[in-house]
Amino acid sequence: MSATPATAAPATATPAIAPGAASEPAPARRAASDAVPGLRAALALQIAAALLWLPQAALLAGAVAALASGGGLAEVTLPAAGIAGLGLVRALAEAGGGRIAFRAARAELSRRRAVAAVALARRSPLDIARPPSGLAASVLAEQAEAVVPYLSRFLPARYRAVVVPLVILACVLPLSWAAALILAVCAPLIPLFMALIGWRAKEASEAQLVEIGGMNAFLLDRLRGLATIRSFGAVEATARRLRADAENLRQRTMAVLRIAFLSSAVLELFSAVGVAMVAGYIGFHLLGMIGFGAWGARLGLGEGLFILLVAPAFFEPLRDLSAAWHDRAAGQAALAALDRLGADGLPVVGTDEPVPARSGSAPEVRLEGVRFVHAHRAGSGSSAPLFDGFDLTVAPGEHVALFAPSGAGKSTLLALVAGLAPPQAGQVFVGGEALTGESAARLRAGMAYIGQQPHIFAGTLKGNIGLGRAGIDAETVRAALRVARLEEVAALRGPAPIGEGGRGLSGGEALRLALARLAATPDAGLILADEPTAHLDSDTAAEVADGLLELARGRTLILATHDPLLAARMDRVIPLGNGEVAP
Amino acid sequence: MTALRSMGAILRLFFAERRLALLGGIALAALTLIAGTALLGLSGWFITATALAGLSAVGAVAFDVFAPSAGIRFFAITRTVARYGERLVTHDAALAVLAGLRERLFLGWAAPEAAGRLADRPARLLFRLTLDIDALDSLYLRVLVPVLAAIAVTLAAAVFIGFIDPGTAFAFAAVVLGCGFLIPLLGLRAARRPGRRRAHALEVLRARAIDLVAGQTELVMTGRLAAQREALVEADRRQGEADDALNRVEVFTGAALSAAGGLLLALALLVAAALKGEGVVDAPLAALLLLVALAAFDPFGMLKRGVVECERALIAARRVAPRLAAPVVASALPAPEPGVALRLDGVAVGHAGSTRPVLTGVDLVVRAGERLAIVGASGAGKSTLLAAIAGEIGIKAGRLAAVSSTLLTQRTELFRDTLRGNLLIADPDADDARLLAALEAAGLGAVVAALPEGLGTLLGEGGLGLSGGQARRLALARLFLRAAPLWLLDEPTEGLDGATARDVVARVAAVSHGNATVFATHLRREAEVADRIVLIADGRIQAIANKGEPAFDAALATLRPD
Repeated sequence: MSATPATAAPATATPAIAPGAASEPAPARRAASDAVPGLRAALALQIAAALLWLPQAALLAGAVAALASGGGLAEVTLPAAGIAGLGLVRALAEAGGGRIAFRAARAELSRRRAVAAVALARRSPLDIARPPSGLAASVLAEQAEAVVPYLSRFLPARYRAVVVPLVILACVLPLSWAAALILAVCAPLIPLFMALIGWRAKEASEAQLVEIGGMNAFLLDRLRGLATIRSFGAVEATARRLRADAENLRQRTMAVLRIAFLSSAVLELFSAVGVAMVAGYIGFHLLGMIGFGAWGARLGLGEGLFILLVAPAFFEPLRDLSAAWHDRAAGQAALAALDRLGADGLPVVGTDEPVPARSGSAPEVRLEGVRFVHAHRAGSGSSAPLFDGFDLTVAPGEHVALFAPSGAGKSTLLALVAGLAPPQAGQVFVGGEALTGESAARLRAGMAYIGQQPHIFAGTLKGNIGLGRAGIDAETVRAALRVARLEEVAALRGPAPIGEGGRGLSGGEALRLALARLAATPDAGLILADEPTAHLDSDTAAEVADGLLELARGRTLILATHDPLLAARMDRVIPLGNGEVAP
Repeated sequence: MTALRSMGAILRLFFAERRLALLGGIALAALTLIAGTALLGLSGWFITATALAGLSAVGAVAFDVFAPSAGIRFFAITRTVARYGERLVTHDAALAVLAGLRERLFLGWAAPEAAGRLADRPARLLFRLTLDIDALDSLYLRVLVPVLAAIAVTLAAAVFIGFIDPGTAFAFAAVVLGCGFLIPLLGLRAARRPGRRRAHALEVLRARAIDLVAGQTELVMTGRLAAQREALVEADRRQGEADDALNRVEVFTGAALSAAGGLLLALALLVAAALKGEGVVDAPLAALLLLVALAAFDPFGMLKRGVVECERALIAARRVAPRLAAPVVASALPAPEPGVALRLDGVAVGHAGSTRPVLTGVDLVVRAGERLAIVGASGAGKSTLLAAIAGEIGIKAGRLAAVSSTLLTQRTELFRDTLRGNLLIADPDADDARLLAALEAAGLGAVVAALPEGLGTLLGEGGLGLSGGQARRLALARLFLRAAPLWLLDEPTEGLDGATARDVVARVAAVSHGNATVFATHLRREAEVADRIVLIADGRIQAIANKGEPAFDAALATLRPD
């Protein structure tokens, strides 16, 4: 549930829980308080701020007592100054604590995002379990935000809810054990009753809130298919359905919330009744109608008023905790999702740091006894090896086609040559050098890769050619545009963004963009092309093929294709199938 | 100012949806706060009064303890009940508003012009829309309820104080409302820039994350992966700066209100002492006044979250408001003469928002029942022409007359719904027998028969669980349910393997008897079932070939085999 809507996860919708009853596993607790530096200092300041109310209340109670015993302006001036001064200090302490907690939490979010980004970058494109880009983006961007309120609001609130009431109790106890008893009895009753009423309702309401999040998904799903809905004249009907579903969901949600809110009403009830009972007890005690409760002495007005004033502060941290409660579920979910993004999987071989290419000459490519098995696909049991004991030698400057129907492993073979995944056995040699973790990045710098659906990055068309690589100046980009016959498109688009956020390119334009990237990579002696003409019309396919061959002159080219026309233009065609090179 | 007008439009929509519930929620919120203040104030009065009465035995006996203690109990219960009621009512109202907002937004986006923009850049617009809706959702609970409840409570307290001393009441209201609104308003102003930056940074962060994962192969191969990772970290850093600025505003707004509360309390103490000196109040009433002052800023404290979220809501309102205008009913295209499905005279078409037409001077007549293939390279304008014929985009010149049509989009669009739900979009009144017949005709009969839940089977987002070919067939079944006199098929077998594609084409040909069909295609297998082939290139119709003519076979030969 990303970006929790206020209605979906209202501070009030989830019942609070007693500090001691918090149920997450110990490691999460440890991680949260110890791993985030600064939270302790923030907590200390926030607790100090909450406790500064005690002297303020004492001054106020004393001033009222002075007024009652006939004092005037002169008697209250000093307490008034004290109250204002303490109030200022309190506000500053609160602010300081809040700021420190926030900064610590925000720094932790940045750290977690960076860790997840490193892990995502390392994960091989061949890894089936790799999260899709949309999911990764929404976890990294929106969902991860929930980490901040969890760390900066919920965690301090939980500790405050333990410390502050205990200190207040310790201040009330020497004055009146009876008042302290009232508070001490009310406080634990809150989680107890909340547990009795709301435990299951809380779970149900959380499920319900997830469904409300699903309402956005429904709207987005229908908007994605808007062309179809419009074409079938189903706009009105879909809108009615949207409304009816939402209405239905509202009724079911309210049925759950009616019970779930009871548990937070318990918190309200006991804090209100607690204050009322303390007031009642003190009143009757002051009248002399109740004699016990003050260690044999009789409370004065000042003492009585002081106890009344601190009673609401006794319950306040519990209410804060209740208000921060939904931060907990969202925050823990976000941390778990970030951890999943950061999980290890099949890695790309070698470092992702840029390493300069050694030379631009066309290398020989040799595969020796290569074996590759895809990790388990969900539900399909163990997979047979795609290749086993696979040998292949491509001479320097040779153009070969790996020719096979889709699914035969052409793309995987190219990925292995590029070091996008390690083979389970065997060795890949490029230019006579074994592709290893140490050499991969350097060898890759001498390769260029064209896929069947090149990714278009957020940015301009020209930026998509240079990709921010060093040594690619405006002139190189212009030349690349010319070679790829993209000049007109570039003139038309100008500096307008393409890719995510911009109007996309057609399939043919995207491939020509990939050719332009290739044209701007003169150092690449080896070109790997993965079905570059699939999904193109024949004119465009021919154009792309021409462009590719033009650029591949004097370089080694390994091309995966199932297009017989394109394959026929290579020096050699290698039919693939059943993991063997056909004779 | 447009922002305020947009916000006005949003609020009107809210109130049109559930006026009573929204107002009731605000009233209950105010009642909760008032009862809380009264509970504390009365308790203070009670304790002070009892302390004075308890000084003498006579006073203690004469003191009426029951009325005040009943009052205290009453306020304690009222606060609890009002709070419970407030939560129920505000959440109910917010959910209802949510339902209305989504319905209206859908209708707004379904308007032709908006739909075109959505089709151009779906990922970004949909992402924005989600965040916009969430931002607006919090408007009522985080801004509207606290603001109005705070005003109500302050005025109620002022009226009460007015019975004791009008001057004090006036000063109280002026200080509380003044500080209570000035401080958040200052915060609001300070939060505007970081609010906008934050919204922007989040979009950048998201785009960079997409690029990192979806563009990983390109990045690895060009040695730019580390740079992209750093760009992502940089986007997070920028967002962090904006977050930090917003948090500063939030924290300092809270601190300023808290400090103002302390000052007000000190001030109230001095005023109470002065009033007591003048004999206007006695000590218990002075205690009551002090406790009312103590609680005065509490309702405004709830505003600090609203302050930092307000700019985001304003951005959302500005973007969403245009979509809330009553949807314009698309004007139907004029009908051609009987026996003709489609007539174009000198038509020019182009992308929405672009002045340059993609195609000009298009003259074409399609007779009822005829099958026409439009071929041309990608980007030649095939899809644009289909969109114009479907009435999705306006034409830039010429005359276009067409019977009502149904478009099969290039990308298979299925919904997260049951099979039945996906099919009923085409014909809401169809019974299961008719749906099954359509599935059979599309070649899905056996697949559906094998499903334990049959037509009730749920599809995932985008038709998860179906292969590409099956998804296409389902879209085809949906088309078959639509008895439109003109079918427009945009590359109907793109991405399917040869055998499946031929089967799909044959099924369309078999079922489309009677209605005219226009294909946009670059595949031989699709064009060869046509009666005529129209070749477009360089912004015009280059040739029209009839079946049986040598030109027809020549045109087919230029198209791509499987």
